[in-house]
Amino acid sequence: MTNSSALEKVHKKGLFGDYENKNEDKLIKISEEKDFLILQIAQYKNSLISVHNIKVDGLVFNNESLKVACNNDTRILWVGPKNWLLISRKKDLLKNIFESLKETDFAITDLSHSRAIIELEGENSKEILKKGCPFNFDELKKDSCLNSVFHGISITIDMINDNPNKIRLFALRSFGESLYDSITDSCLEYGYKNL
Amino acid sequence: MLFIKCPYCGDRSQNEFAYGGDATVKRPEINKEVSDKDWDNFVYLRKSPRGKHLEFWHHVSGCRQWFKIQRDTSTHEIFKTFKVTEEI
Amino acid sequence: MSQDYRLDNIGLINRDKKVSFKFNGKRYYGYEGDTLASALIANGVHLIGRSFKYHRPRGFFGSGVDEPYAKVQLYKNGESEPNVSATEIEIFEGLESESVNCWPSVNFDVGAINNFLNKFLPAGFYYKTFMWPKSFWYKIYEPFIRKAAGFGVVSVKHDKDRYEHKYEYCDLIVAGSGPAGLASAYAAAKNGAKVILAEDKPRFGGSLLTDEVNIGNQSGKDWANKIINELKGMQNVTVKNRAQVFGYYDHNMLVMSERLTDHLAKPKKYTPRQRLWYIRAKEVVISSGSIERPIVFGNNDTPGVVLASAAKEYLKVYGVLVGKKPLIFTNNDSAYETAIEFKKNGINPLIFDSREKPSSEIINEAKNLNIEIKFSHVVVSAKGYKKVKSAEVSKISKDKNTLGKIENVDCDCICVSGFWTPTIHLSSQSGNRTKFDKNIDSFVPNQPKQKETTVGSAKGTFTLEETLKTSFETGYQLSKKITNNDKKILTPSVVEKKFTKHDKFWCVPLPKGKKYKRFIDFQNDVTVSDIELALREGYRSIEHVKRYTTLGMATDQGKTSNLNGLQLVSSIEDKIVPDVGHTTFRPPYTPVTIGTIVGREIGKHSKPTRKSPMHTWHKENNAVFVDAGVWLRPRYYKKGNETLFQASKREAANVRKNVGICDVTTLGKIDIKGPDSAEFLNRVYTNAWLKLPIGKARYGVMLREDGMLMDDGTTTRISENHYHMTTTTAQAANILSHLEYYLQVVWPELNVNVVSTTEQWAGAALAGPRSRDLLKKIFTDLDVSNDNFPFMGYLEGNLSGVHARIFRISFSGELAYEINVESNNGNFMWEKIIQLGKEFEIQPYGTEALSTLRIEMGHVAGPELDGRTISYDVSLEGMLSKKKDFIGKRSLNKPAFIAKDRQKIVGLVPIDKKTSIPEGSHLVKDVNAKLPNPKLGHISSSCWSVEFNNPFSLAILKDGKNMIGQKLFAVSPLKNKVIPVEVVSSHYVDPKGERVRS
Repeated sequence: MTNSSALEKVHKKGLFGDYENKNEDKLIKISEEKDFLILQIAQYKNSLISVHNIKVDGLVFNNESLKVACNNDTRILWVGPKNWLLISRKKDLLKNIFESLKETDFAITDLSHSRAIIELEGENSKEILKKGCPFNFDELKKDSCLNSVFHGISITIDMINDNPNKIRLFALRSFGESLYDSITDSCLEYGYKNL
Repeated sequence: MLFIKCPYCGDRSQNEFAYGGDATVKRPEINKEVSDKDWDNFVYLRKSPRGKHLEFWHHVSGCRQWFKIQRDTSTHEIFKTFKVTEEI
Repeated sequence: MSQDYRLDNIGLINRDKKVSFKFNGKRYYGYEGDTLASALIANGVHLIGRSFKYHRPRGFFGSGVDEPYAKVQLYKNGESEPNVSATEIEIFEGLESESVNCWPSVNFDVGAINNFLNKFLPAGFYYKTFMWPKSFWYKIYEPFIRKAAGFGVVSVKHDKDRYEHKYEYCDLIVAGSGPAGLASAYAAAKNGAKVILAEDKPRFGGSLLTDEVNIGNQSGKDWANKIINELKGMQNVTVKNRAQVFGYYDHNMLVMSERLTDHLAKPKKYTPRQRLWYIRAKEVVISSGSIERPIVFGNNDTPGVVLASAAKEYLKVYGVLVGKKPLIFTNNDSAYETAIEFKKNGINPLIFDSREKPSSEIINEAKNLNIEIKFSHVVVSAKGYKKVKSAEVSKISKDKNTLGKIENVDCDCICVSGFWTPTIHLSSQSGNRTKFDKNIDSFVPNQPKQKETTVGSAKGTFTLEETLKTSFETGYQLSKKITNNDKKILTPSVVEKKFTKHDKFWCVPLPKGKKYKRFIDFQNDVTVSDIELALREGYRSIEHVKRYTTLGMATDQGKTSNLNGLQLVSSIEDKIVPDVGHTTFRPPYTPVTIGTIVGREIGKHSKPTRKSPMHTWHKENNAVFVDAGVWLRPRYYKKGNETLFQASKREAANVRKNVGICDVTTLGKIDIKGPDSAEFLNRVYTNAWLKLPIGKARYGVMLREDGMLMDDGTTTRISENHYHMTTTTAQAANILSHLEYYLQVVWPELNVNVVSTTEQWAGAALAGPRSRDLLKKIFTDLDVSNDNFPFMGYLEGNLSGVHARIFRISFSGELAYEINVESNNGNFMWEKIIQLGKEFEIQPYGTEALSTLRIEMGHVAGPELDGRTISYDVSLEGMLSKKKDFIGKRSLNKPAFIAKDRQKIVGLVPIDKKTSIPEGSHLVKDVNAKLPNPKLGHISSSCWSVEFNNPFSLAILKDGKNMIGQKLFAVSPLKNKVIPVEVVSSHYVDPKGERVRS
């Protein structure tokens, strides 16, 4: 086994916090996500081609801030002007991407190992993030994303679903344990289950 | 805590940004001659106005873009934010 | 057992729940819903503490945030908290509290001697005393003052409570749930706005809980209840009690402190004790009400002198009598409500009204109830030391300057009312300039600077009808602006008693020959004579008067004293109050615990920590860690009982002899791509980059625009338009921002993408004469000979199935390689190398050994790149390209930078070959020279040279290039060391740099 994920050593299964006498459905579910292909895709400033003509795994890149283009396997997050984070379960997409996105127009950098990923599921997920992130979560809808901070740690937030709320958090790998501690601490009041 | 409208991401709280200095100062062109005085003015001299100030901010925990803010230095009122390429 | 002052059939407390508590060791009973103050008053306790300066007996004055006296020490669950306000803390079973600032007891306080020494303790006495003799300060005055100062006692135990933060957004925040707040919140919520309604007290309704009014066809109290219940059920509304909006900040951010468990005996384990809310609101409604101010008279601090509104609140909300023989002293109509409440509950009050012939509904009502009223009458002084026993009263002339014959009136409390001061703090904090309203003799908000609206009595609107009308309208208009909805609520009708004008009278003159203390600021013991003294001594500005006398500077922030103080200053200066102005209102409105502000940033949460993928291996192998910014790096790996010195010496020596492995993951890595990458590198580095071949690395140095060294690193050309840049750990984030700045702002025409890959790759440095042999064993398929893989080369390889990048670069000066694998494989790589390296006697080495190795080689790092050095100073002037322009080049021809005797890096060895030289020491020529002794340079880095087995340091020395062989002194006044040293070359070990190229 050559591969260790960022939170392997800290994420332990179980029930924590104020979980007693609560229906397990009401608890926040926390899990570590791993084994994604993660790429930074940046279009050069002077590249003239229209990004709307390009499809990766059937998805089109969009230039709208906070928007996510997605299907079951792949999510393309807008993280800046002409700048996207592609997250996919399909590792072999890399070849297809190098073919569709020419080197002259795009810089593609593999960041698959550079993130620690925590997924929160439950109706109180947004309340957890409000404890450390100054973003207006009323504006966060399904399939939208943003970069912000949580208790001083820069994170990328991807809202996967909204019924119930399912939110994926990305932080730099080295911050993983600190973010995990911060997030789980914020969940104690509600009670949480580590999957 | 300032509430800053990043030209790319929209309204965000000050915690996501870093201040980036005076935006009225333009770096002299590279590979071109520039007098000692003009160079020293660029490196060291800054106006410190009480009132409207044009300055750079960097959205470090957001889109990582540099942009400009016109802000009142005594009341913190922010009049306008705009991209680096836009003029006042 | 008895609650002598408790009435049976009135109040909002829960009589089904009896609560026992202790005060000063004695047990009492109250009810759920009582504050400590109301419960104590119910039990006939009227002496709560001793005043700050004079140690005069003090009781209760107010019923909430207006309280200046009743600060107690609170004990709960083994914790102790100082300066808790008895009028705000709700009692819970088992509450224990004590008086402060008195010894041995509140009843008999030795400190009261101050009261009799008051002649020597006027305002500002501390500026004039305790100055002589000078020697007395440290041993006598200071310890004494330290013991005497302050109120409660701070606990030195760790605060075990949980405090949390929350960021929230809303369309409208309403601060205060009196009629104005309820009305605006309701109107806005019904019109679809997202509303947060915050109420400081546990009960909603504000003045509606105590005023005899009707709204619609209900009592004010019932109407408030109805509105709150409806608001609580609405999806777009958040209703919070026990939550105080204490500060108004930039861009409509309001900060609110919510007290979740202070009123509970046994809170749940994970429920925060208090929560701090950062609320960003599109619009703010300030409905914070107003606070009654007193009329100033002699000995007006005697326990039993209370605000008339407080007496009313104790009666109506808590069912408690502040006295059984009340004397109401007023200059306005509102105090008549207090008198009428007393009468309705079987107590006979006496009213002294300073006005000559006022006439209104409520005065008639009082008359009809046979309440005795004396017009043009004032209280001259309260009598009784620990409790009001009677009052000296007299008639007063129409011009309010002359007193008539003084008489004594029996009473056990004096309920005083000097009219109302709007609570304008939040508005003022938001930048609102405020103006003086002559009709009410108070400041009210004026032009708003932010999106805030003040309604109700906080604005100086003192009738309920007007308040409801404007509040409903405000709520509707603000919500319409935000939601574009148009649902308007009908304003209900109001039945209230109309009041007539108040008297502009606030301070009773002294009778001839009497020197009664007339208190203005009750908590800080500031009297009328103190303020007169300040003005006599020349303190004219209200800001000076405040600071000199400490008026308004106590924990109650002058809520019942600021305006009276202003009136006094303006009357003495013969100015009008608005010209005197008021001091700046600053948050918090009332004290906030430090815990609330800190939140969860304690212990391991106090700052984020960054850990390398190999962190667990380091921990399991006895690494002792050091903070490198927010990273944790192994400083050394402890074997047995080794000290830092022994371990690092062992590790460094092993690198020089065999091979060592060091975790270098923390160094910044930046991936650079794009057709203009080489040109960009050429502009940011001092040396040439356009012709770097693919597969080669180059050392690079970056300058700031002022010519100073900024950072150094190695950049490798991976493929044609793809580079891998490294930076120091400390500067990684700054350099990325620096590059982004130049690409986005200065040279947007360049097509380059920069992105941090520090986290994508785990890095291990292999260093030492046997490192090539080990490398051969790790990468069996690669030709790592010196010919195929020369110094500054780059290869990619397969490390037991894992893709790896190998850079032949060296920080230690030995033959060395840096291996990068993708982070998830980092631990695997490390363990593999350790395993394969056993044959070559591999040992891990930490930052201490790493430093030793580079220092004795003369390689510069952070301490030499401290922002004060240029390339020449660290012998890197050879890297300055003469052919191209780069960042900082234009600054390099400054006269100081090209001076002949410019400072340069040298090595230093102590003459005795034994004494280590502290970093930061200064270099001087003659240690006995007269001061000021010219500083020739400073020591930037020190180590124990493992090569030569003696201390060795690097220093930046004036005229360094001509100083080799000189003898100097290294002086550290901080560590009291003077060390004779010899100047040598900074390249102490391997001066020709042969090892890296071997």
